[in-house]
Amino acid sequence: MDTFTLTLWILRLTFVGLIYGFFFLVIRALWRDLRSTVSTAGTPLGRLVVLASPEGQPEAGTSIPLDAVTTLGRDVNNTIMVDDGFVSADHSMLTFRGRVWFLEDRRSTNGTFLNGQPVRGEIPMGYGDEIQLGGVRLRLERSVTPERDGRRR
Amino acid sequence: MTSRASAGGGSDAARGRIAKGRDDLADRVASARSTLWRAGIRPRPRPREMLLLGFAALTLLIGWVSLASFRAGRVTTGDLGPLLTYLGVLVALHAAFVISGRRMDQILLPVTAMLGGLSLLVMSRLPQDLVVQTIAGSRFQLAELQLLWVCIGFALLGALAILVRQDGWLRYYKYTWAAVGILLLLLVFVLGEAVNGARLSVTIGPFTGQPSELLKVILVVFLAAYLADNRALLARQSTRIWRLNVPPLPYLLPMLAMWGIALAVVIVQRDLGAALLLFTVFLTLLYVATRRFSYVALGTVLFLVGAFVLYQLFGHVRTRVDIWLDPYADPLGAGYQVIRALYAFGRGGILGTGLGAGLPQVGSVPAIPAIHTDFVFTGLAEELGMLGGIAICGLYLVIAERGLRIAARAGDEFQALLATGLTLVIVIQAALIIGGNLKLVPLTGITLPFVSYGGSSMLSNAIVIGLLLALSDRGLGRVVPPPVRSRSARDAAAVPVREAASGDSGVDAQ
Amino acid sequence: MTTSRGGLPAGASAPGIGTALLRVGLALVIVYSGLVLGMGWWQVAQAGPLTNDPGNPLVLAAERNAPRGRIVDSRGQVVAMSAKQPGAEPVRRYPHPAMAPIVGYKSLLFGTGGLENSYDGQLTGLQQLGPGDQLLRKFRSDPYDPSELHLSVDIRLQEAALKALGSDRGAVVAIEPTTGRILALVSNPTYDPNQLADPATARAYLDTLRADKASPLLNRATQGRYVPGSVFKMVTAIAALDSGSIAPETTYADQPKQYQTGFRVAGFDVHDAPRTVQLDHPLNFYEATEVSCNIYFAHVGLDTGPANYVAWAARLGFGAPIGFELPTAASQVTGGGGPFGGLQDRVELANAAYGQGEVLVTPLQMALVAAAIADGGTMMAPRLVDKLVSENGNVHAVDSQVMSQAMSGTTAFAITKAMERAVNGPFAAGYAGGAAVPGVLTAGKSGTAQLAGGKRPHSWFIGFAPAGDPQIAIAVIAENAGLGSQHAVPIAGQLMQQYLQLAGSG
Repeated sequence: MDTFTLTLWILRLTFVGLIYGFFFLVIRALWRDLRSTVSTAGTPLGRLVVLASPEGQPEAGTSIPLDAVTTLGRDVNNTIMVDDGFVSADHSMLTFRGRVWFLEDRRSTNGTFLNGQPVRGEIPMGYGDEIQLGGVRLRLERSVTPERDGRRR
Repeated sequence: MTSRASAGGGSDAARGRIAKGRDDLADRVASARSTLWRAGIRPRPRPREMLLLGFAALTLLIGWVSLASFRAGRVTTGDLGPLLTYLGVLVALHAAFVISGRRMDQILLPVTAMLGGLSLLVMSRLPQDLVVQTIAGSRFQLAELQLLWVCIGFALLGALAILVRQDGWLRYYKYTWAAVGILLLLLVFVLGEAVNGARLSVTIGPFTGQPSELLKVILVVFLAAYLADNRALLARQSTRIWRLNVPPLPYLLPMLAMWGIALAVVIVQRDLGAALLLFTVFLTLLYVATRRFSYVALGTVLFLVGAFVLYQLFGHVRTRVDIWLDPYADPLGAGYQVIRALYAFGRGGILGTGLGAGLPQVGSVPAIPAIHTDFVFTGLAEELGMLGGIAICGLYLVIAERGLRIAARAGDEFQALLATGLTLVIVIQAALIIGGNLKLVPLTGITLPFVSYGGSSMLSNAIVIGLLLALSDRGLGRVVPPPVRSRSARDAAAVPVREAASGDSGVDAQ
Repeated sequence: MTTSRGGLPAGASAPGIGTALLRVGLALVIVYSGLVLGMGWWQVAQAGPLTNDPGNPLVLAAERNAPRGRIVDSRGQVVAMSAKQPGAEPVRRYPHPAMAPIVGYKSLLFGTGGLENSYDGQLTGLQQLGPGDQLLRKFRSDPYDPSELHLSVDIRLQEAALKALGSDRGAVVAIEPTTGRILALVSNPTYDPNQLADPATARAYLDTLRADKASPLLNRATQGRYVPGSVFKMVTAIAALDSGSIAPETTYADQPKQYQTGFRVAGFDVHDAPRTVQLDHPLNFYEATEVSCNIYFAHVGLDTGPANYVAWAARLGFGAPIGFELPTAASQVTGGGGPFGGLQDRVELANAAYGQGEVLVTPLQMALVAAAIADGGTMMAPRLVDKLVSENGNVHAVDSQVMSQAMSGTTAFAITKAMERAVNGPFAAGYAGGAAVPGVLTAGKSGTAQLAGGKRPHSWFIGFAPAGDPQIAIAVIAENAGLGSQHAVPIAGQLMQQYLQLAGSG
């Protein structure tokens, strides 16, 4: 086998090898994409456990998975509809931004309470804190599946 | 939406740094950036696309050198002109995508670019006098023409990807599109010229084109729009005939119409491949829209009936099928190409003969006359071997994955069905022709998307990928929320929208 | 968002698209896997046969690049070689046209035939001998390594056989019984491969050959199907003795008087030829073989029954083309499809038992039967090539292989005894006696195959020598030549004698 033939074959096999290298990079990209989709869409960021609900909507004892933005109120357009005489149509909002949960009172008539304290504007909160709207009490908890860093950016 | 907000946040932070006045460079970059922002241009880097394009460019360069060295008999890079032109177009396209700031898929372009590059390699390797055209007094040959088409195709692809920001013009005029499609068919019927027994080409002025290539895109748009509007009805209602749950009869009409169009394509254009492709895409779309196998079953029965009748009535259909069943019956006539293709596969083996070392002809006898169109996959599989063939199949599967994912994440059902249909058009077409080359299905005269020689095919496939890229940006055609009373109400309304569009991918947002 | 839902309430929309997309994706993966399997089939599994197919342009290219390998006989005599021609493609030369039925031809215009066809890949050098060479081939700067074919055939015996047949159409097949090596394989008339190889004469010569009513292009030895007549009684004997239907001592009490009356089977009378030597006592197997008694073998056939008959014939290779380096035709006991175990009725069975009925055999098949009897019941697969030697020095020796265990040693021994008697017995002179090789115990069976339409019968002989230590088994047929004892038998005797002399002298 002379040098030229050898070189030629090295070139040829490198070419096929590079095609597969390209393929590998593409597959890796697809895989990361798939994983990030799964981790963002599949695992909720946290959940609200209903501690008390006099009117049964939401039902006491249930656990509601949370997205990055969750609105609470009596109106049907809210993420979590709270059927309680003392709850406004658009009562409060729970958001997850930069790894921190924020609770915001949306100028409700009877106010939102965090661990018994009335919420003015927007305040940060953590897992285990208790929210109260009217007669409904909810506790913020980690989601059941071990939550990894969902938003990778 | 979230992503845009966080990008804005980043820029806020940058401004904060400027205020502190520590870094001149950052200052200038940031000010240039804010100038761009004020002008409405928001560049968004596409690192993954850049990496993949770079790798594809390296791969093609090595391929180019391997081919040139073999032909010259010494190690040389050969004339890099065509390759560099092509890579330049890709770089320009990438830059345009970055500047446009759209959050489009970052994988489709490199994969398509790889296929286009392989096409250039094959075309510059084949005997150049397979195609000769005189445009404006100068004479162009196979490789030059293909380079021209690839560049025009990618330009079209980029233009569509960047400019298509609304899908209304596609979805609300669906019957217009259907009419255009039928018009194209009629055009072929009236003006068509027969090439190799198939009446595909239409010549208007200096241009020759194959309308069936465009027809497939138009029909997919129509079908997506039609099914998006009617899918709920199609999926839920049914008519009971005897013991079978049959789809509602009035809604079967489009199916019959589609069947009729497919038959017409076979009869008018003598183009088995396009008909097979259209009908398969249609059935799959119908299934995706309704998730009812009864449609698919019914469609398959219709297909078989049609195929049988056509087989009985039309010589060209019979010839195709007979060649497929036994090419050795007429090894020097009808079965010639198919047999030669099989030899070529055998010669290739696992590793292939190497680029340029295959046998497209011995002496003056061409091994496979249609090696630049129908049998381009055979040529590649001979020279790159089974490994190369598998990689090419893999590239089409990647397109499938991207397309279906774009469909799964689409903002609404029309977009989802459109993305599905466009993806299927490319992937099924590739499967049909590869299968035909391998004698797994009857050989039909369709092209291998992005690889085969041919302007019409290149342009219509570029349209398909361009639209897919546009669809992959979830900002496309988002319905502006209706006026609301308060900010909180708007936020509340926005929630389901976010949910439908959730799952920001690492690909388009990183 | 809501526009696409066709006016239905949002909650009651059609089923989600996601699952369907997943299934479509899965279907596409399956389809593409099918494509990859297809590639594997053509590019890996079928790559060898495709590469060696004479229609492959690669074969053409190879022949332009490397001289085609030679073909030599068992002693190294060249029987085919390529002659370089300045400025033109090399032309094949055949110094011994008698080898045409074996070697075939390599024509620039009409492709290849015979061994030139079946070993095309090796002769051109596309098919490499060394292990792994096939894989490494494409990495070499000179990828062709043509092989030389070494045949088992002795050109002297081959030419003697052709000469012995003379003007008779017919065939001779000689085999070494213990190995299956073909010693001679003659088909007469044959053709001159030189004229087919030469582009100047090929076209006109091929037309002449095709127009010739004697069909010289037909390889009678492997593809000619003949009525066997009495030589087929040996197949009957194998089936009957090996299945235990008769013993060598079996006699039929009615048989002597049936010389006159005929043996009536379902309304059909089996007769012996008027010239047959008649004895006054019932014949046993040995005597019946010696005088070739049709009535005796008709009885034997009926006793054996159709099932045993067809089964033993299949063990001998009947019913399917014999695996061989040249194309072969299938021999048959019956046309098949009949209600009586594949045969039509008892009449057909009785007739088949002495080689009439619908029995058709190839000379190669009958030579194999003789060889199997000679080899104690083991039938060796016939082969023409001893070894291949490539230009680069790789050697591939072809091994002998057992084709089937056709019968037990006891059966083979009894039949050998009977065939010895047919050549050497007191009445042998009128039958196979002419085949006796002086000084060597010879075994054989003659045959005279009666043909429909009043044509002259085929003259047949099968046999082997020496009977105790068989070195050559032979089948000879002379078409329409008359009695077996007058044509085929002496030819076979002469050829066996000649071969034993040649082998003895080295």
